[in-house]
Amino acid sequence: MTAWQWGVILSGILSAGALVYLILKRRSLGRKPYFSIPLGSARQGVAYAFGRGMMPWEKESARLHLFAYLAGVLYHLGIFSGFAILFIKVFSLNGPALGQNIFRWGVGLGLISGAGLLLKRIFVPNVRRLSRPDDFGANVIVDIFLASALAASSDARAVTFLLGYSILLFLYIPSGKIRHCIFFFYSRFLFGSFFGRRGVLPPRHDRS
Amino acid sequence: MNAQRPSSLPLGERLARLSPDDFKAAVRRLANALDAPSAVNLESCVRCGLCAESCHYFLDDRDLKSIPAYKLNLIIRVFNRYFGRRGRLAPAWTGAKDFNRPEAQEWVDSLFGRCTLCGRCALNCTMGINIPALIRKARGLLAWLGLVPDGLSSTVELARDTGNNMGISKEDWTETVAWLEEELQADLQDPGARLPLDLKGADILYVVNPREPKFYPLTLTAAGKIFHAAQESWTLSSSYFDVTNYAYFTGDDELAGLLASRLKSAMEELQAKTLVLAECGHGFSSNRWEAPEWLSRKIGYEVKSILTVTADYIRRGRIHLDPQRNIETVTLHDPCQLVRMGGIIEEQRTILRRAVKNFIEMTPNREKNYCCGGGGGQLSMTEFALRRKSAGRVKSAQIARTKAQVVAAPCHNCLDQLAELNRHYKLGVKVKSVIELAADALVLTTV
Repeated sequence: MTAWQWGVILSGILSAGALVYLILKRRSLGRKPYFSIPLGSARQGVAYAFGRGMMPWEKESARLHLFAYLAGVLYHLGIFSGFAILFIKVFSLNGPALGQNIFRWGVGLGLISGAGLLLKRIFVPNVRRLSRPDDFGANVIVDIFLASALAASSDARAVTFLLGYSILLFLYIPSGKIRHCIFFFYSRFLFGSFFGRRGVLPPRHDRS
Repeated sequence: MNAQRPSSLPLGERLARLSPDDFKAAVRRLANALDAPSAVNLESCVRCGLCAESCHYFLDDRDLKSIPAYKLNLIIRVFNRYFGRRGRLAPAWTGAKDFNRPEAQEWVDSLFGRCTLCGRCALNCTMGINIPALIRKARGLLAWLGLVPDGLSSTVELARDTGNNMGISKEDWTETVAWLEEELQADLQDPGARLPLDLKGADILYVVNPREPKFYPLTLTAAGKIFHAAQESWTLSSSYFDVTNYAYFTGDDELAGLLASRLKSAMEELQAKTLVLAECGHGFSSNRWEAPEWLSRKIGYEVKSILTVTADYIRRGRIHLDPQRNIETVTLHDPCQLVRMGGIIEEQRTILRRAVKNFIEMTPNREKNYCCGGGGGQLSMTEFALRRKSAGRVKSAQIARTKAQVVAAPCHNCLDQLAELNRHYKLGVKVKSVIELAADALVLTTV
C-alpha cells in the first residue's frame, strides 16, 4: 500500500470521526421529553420520511422541480459511485468489469447532474442570491472529485491525483457544507418523528 | 416578553434603543435555548431553494425574501457566526453574520412579516427541516428583545392582563352567555337548553375564541345546540374561557405557558374531565400539543377539538344531521395549525359529509393545503396587512376554482381572513364555521 492510499484511509477515518463528533455535539444539547400524548406513530412517520415521503408524487417541491430533483438524486448516486471507485483504488481491488462500469456510469451521470446543479445555482437569480460561497465551493469540490474518479477508473495515471484529492476532500467534508451528508439523516428522522407523533404523516386518507 | 422594554413605544423606537450589549445578551439567550433538534435543523439547510413554491408569500410576490430557505437562513447566519468555529474563522465563506440592529430589523420584517408558521415548507423541505419551529424560536428571541410588532404584542398583553385577548370583562362575558342562552332557548323552543356556566363536575369544559361572544355569537350557540342535542354534560367557565394563545405566535414560551396554565386552572377548579376547544387552529396546537411542553408536565386530562367531539357524536348516533338543510355547495379550508401541525384531518370531513348536500374538496387539501394567510399572528399585525391580503391571493384562487357557494373553516383566524379575502377578491362566497353548518343541519328530536 502506498503512502497515498494510507493517506486516504487515515483522512477518511478522521472525516468520519469528525462527523460523528459533530452529531454527538449537537445531540449533547439534549431535548426535553415530550409530555403531550401522541395522536399517531413517530416510528411510522420516520419510515415515511425516509421512504414514500421523498417521492415526487408525495412531495410537491420535488414534483414542481422534477429536473432538479432527479439531478439531485443522480448527483448523490454519482457521489456514492465515486466513493466506490475510490475504495477500489485504495484497496487495489479487481472487481467484475460490469460492477466497475456501473460505477463509471454512475459517476458520469453524477458529474453531469452536479454541473447542472452548479449552473442552476449560478444562473437562477433567487437560488444564486440564496447561496453562500460555500454552496458553490462544495459543488465544485465534489465535481472535481467525480471527474477525478471518472478519470482514474479508466486511466491509471489519474489514480494518484484521485487519491491525493480525496485526502483534501475528506478533510474538508466536516468543516464545510458537505457535512449535511450526516445531518440529512438526523433532520429527516426528526421530521418524521414530529409529524408522525402528531398523526399527520404518513397520510392515511383517501384523497378523492 | 422582556419587562425592560415596554411595548408602549413604537417598534422602530424600541429597536433604536437596543444597545450592542442587548444583542450580545440575546445571543447568549439563543445559546441557552438551543436544543438538539434546533441545532441539527440549523446545520441542515442546503439552500436548494426547492421550498420556494411551498410558501404562499413567495407564490404571490416571487421575492427572494419570501423563500422559506431565505427566512431560515437569516437565523442560520447568526447561528453560524456564534456557534462553532466555521463562522468565526471564515464568516464570508459560510455566510455568517453578526446579530445587530439591521439584522434584527430584517428578522422582524421577514420572520414576523412574511411567515404564518403554517409549516407547508417543512413538508416540502428536501432535508425535512422544521422551519416554522425555528422561526418561532427566533420570534421568541425578538420577543425577548421587545421587538414584537405592535398589534401582536398588544393582543398578547391584553390576554396576559385581562385573561382573554379581547379584554372582555367577566361581567360582559357572563351577561353575553346569559343572553345567548335565552336566544338558544328561543331558537330551540326549549327552556331546558342551556349554556351552563361554572357547572362543577361536568364532563366537558368548553373554551371559545373571544371573537365568538364579541362578533360571532352564533358559533357559540351552534356549539351549545350540538351539546344540547347530544345531551352532553358540559360547561363554560366564567373565569378563563379563551382558547387562543397569541404568545404561541410571538414565540414567548414563558407567557404562552402562563396563558395555557389558566385553562388548566379552570379545568381543575371545575373538575372537568375533558377540555374541548372551539374551532381555532392555533388554539388547538397550543393547548393540545404545546401546553404540556410549556408546562413541562403531563396535564392530566384530555384535550380535544370540538370537531373530534362532534364527529364522535355523529358516529355514535348521539346527534343526527340532515344534509338537505345545507343545500349550497360547500368547500372546506384546512387550517394549518389544526391540520398540518395538529393532526385533525378527517373529523371536519366526517361532519361536513353528513351536514351538507354538496361537499367538494379544494386542491390541494388536508396537510398539503395552502395557508389562508391569516395565521402566525398576521391578523393582529396591521403593519403587514397589505402583504397578508396580497398573499391570500393563492387561497382565493383555490376557492374560486371550486366554484363553491360556501367556504367552511374550523378556525376563527381563518374565518376572518377568508371573509376579508372574499371582499377583497370579490369571491362571492359565504364564509361559515364547520360547527355552524353542523348546527344548521341538526335534527332535534323531542323526547
